[in-house]
Amino acid sequence: MRVKDGVLKYGFVGPALIFLIAFNIFPLFYNIYLSFTDAELSGGVTQLIGGRNYGVIFDDTRYGTALRTTGLFVVLAVATELILGFALALALQKPFWGKPAITTILLVPMMLSPAVMGLYWNFILNGHYGVVNQALSVFRLFQPQWLTDPDLKLFSILMIDIWMWTPFMMLIALAGLNAIPNHLYEAAAIDRASRWTVFRRITLPLCSPLLFLAILLRTTDALKQFDLVMAVTGPNDRATQTLSALLYQVMFRGYKIGLGSSYSIVILLIVIALATIFIRYIASIQAKQGRETA
Amino acid sequence: MKYLRWLVIIPYFCLATLPLCWLFLTSLKTQEAAISPTASLIPSTAENTAPGSLSFSATLDAYRKLATPHTGKAHAFFHYLFNSVIIGLLSTLTSVVLGTGCAYGFSRFRIAGARDWLFFILSTRFLPPLAVVVPVLMMYRVFNLPNTHLGLILLYTAFNLSLAVWLMKGFIDEIPRAYEEAALVDGYSPLQAFYKIILPHSATGMAVTAVFCLISAWNEYGFALALNNAEAVTVPVYFAGLQGNIQGIPWPKIAAGVLIFVVPIAIFTVLVRNHLLRGVTFGTIKQ
Repeated sequence: MRVKDGVLKYGFVGPALIFLIAFNIFPLFYNIYLSFTDAELSGGVTQLIGGRNYGVIFDDTRYGTALRTTGLFVVLAVATELILGFALALALQKPFWGKPAITTILLVPMMLSPAVMGLYWNFILNGHYGVVNQALSVFRLFQPQWLTDPDLKLFSILMIDIWMWTPFMMLIALAGLNAIPNHLYEAAAIDRASRWTVFRRITLPLCSPLLFLAILLRTTDALKQFDLVMAVTGPNDRATQTLSALLYQVMFRGYKIGLGSSYSIVILLIVIALATIFIRYIASIQAKQGRETA
Repeated sequence: MKYLRWLVIIPYFCLATLPLCWLFLTSLKTQEAAISPTASLIPSTAENTAPGSLSFSATLDAYRKLATPHTGKAHAFFHYLFNSVIIGLLSTLTSVVLGTGCAYGFSRFRIAGARDWLFFILSTRFLPPLAVVVPVLMMYRVFNLPNTHLGLILLYTAFNLSLAVWLMKGFIDEIPRAYEEAALVDGYSPLQAFYKIILPHSATGMAVTAVFCLISAWNEYGFALALNNAEAVTVPVYFAGLQGNIQGIPWPKIAAGVLIFVVPIAIFTVLVRNHLLRGVTFGTIKQ
């Protein structure tokens, strides 16, 4: 079988690899080069200007604000989604009538387009005719201006993100719960362990590897938050300007792609670090699976 | 404990589904009913409903109006939907074809540095679109690809390849090697073994992979926004661009468009429900 393998195997893997290098490795390095130039989106003469772009970062208050906004968003979104998703998974752990249908329906929001649903949420959260405020008015409650109050805009985007991505945490947490062998629970029942002890000593520790995986995936994704910001407030709103939104504003509205590239290096470094952790983690899980099956 | 479960599930179920139900109801309303200060909940067939009542007269007008462009926009909704369909289908096709071949290579042959290559492939999925799109745009300008369907098809193929390779590798790894070895003993060439044994056995895997690639391409926004401003504009770019741009947004019409756009995705989600976990974890967790 291994006679003509030499040519054949590269025929199989080659095209995909060439594609990925052209669209990922090349842009990555070209981006680093651009960050040392004064390149503009409109073209024209581009000059190397050394590290001047990186100097500008520290003068630009937008950058620090965007970092803080992104950090706040990531922490709040991932934490809330994790807690809600895990609670849902616990509620869905045992079989009951209608469980498959309910689980599937709950998963739908995470498959939808954030940009499109973001626009539609403008309608739901509208301060005058939005259905949320109308519901609040029925109960004579205070009706916040979700989309125009600078203190609330980021919170509104956060709510939409939680609506979309809690099912993701639920899905992975459910897989973790399903993988816990039943005999552990039976043993705990014989020992008359309290519910809290069972949760703390069996459920949580055995679920945590998968929860960690889910947190990593969601964090890298939330760090890139762009679609919802664009659909709810646009890229140039100080209250909601995440790093990706700032990049868009600098590069595609201000046409400063050299400067934008230097701004993007920091987010790239964070994402690459997280991706590396994720990949190491996957590798360790696979090694473990390999040992178990061997 | 039994009741506690429903105490969690029912409120969340309502929160998750009500926005989608509201979407459907809005698409049946007139603009006046949609933005009236008192929300009406029940569609009725009556021609006129009393103002302030809970029912509204249902109409399919919003769906009909989708064929006409918004003021200030060059095209109607269906033009953008057509772009999304073309770009989604063709990029899915190419990523599944390339991804299956690549996954088969890594699954069955000894390749130097296979692990490193696979993890490199996985890592490409994590790059933020906005941080890599400018070099792609510069590269495209050389080949006259901005504002073309082909440009987005190529980019989405690259974007989805990591997912396709990892998912397909998971599926192909599950096909016993004995099948191909038997075929080779029977005188098949390795290539024939691939066509006649591997492809039929991984049909389900390819379908599932295709659905996930299609959904990512269908929903993608950042790349599409940065590379297009005239032709080949997809639905997410079109819709998100309406934010703050048009006066008195015609919400029933938008709702009708959003519904048409998301219903296929909801159906696909139900179809691949047993493989969702694989899809969102790149095939690393199997149930």
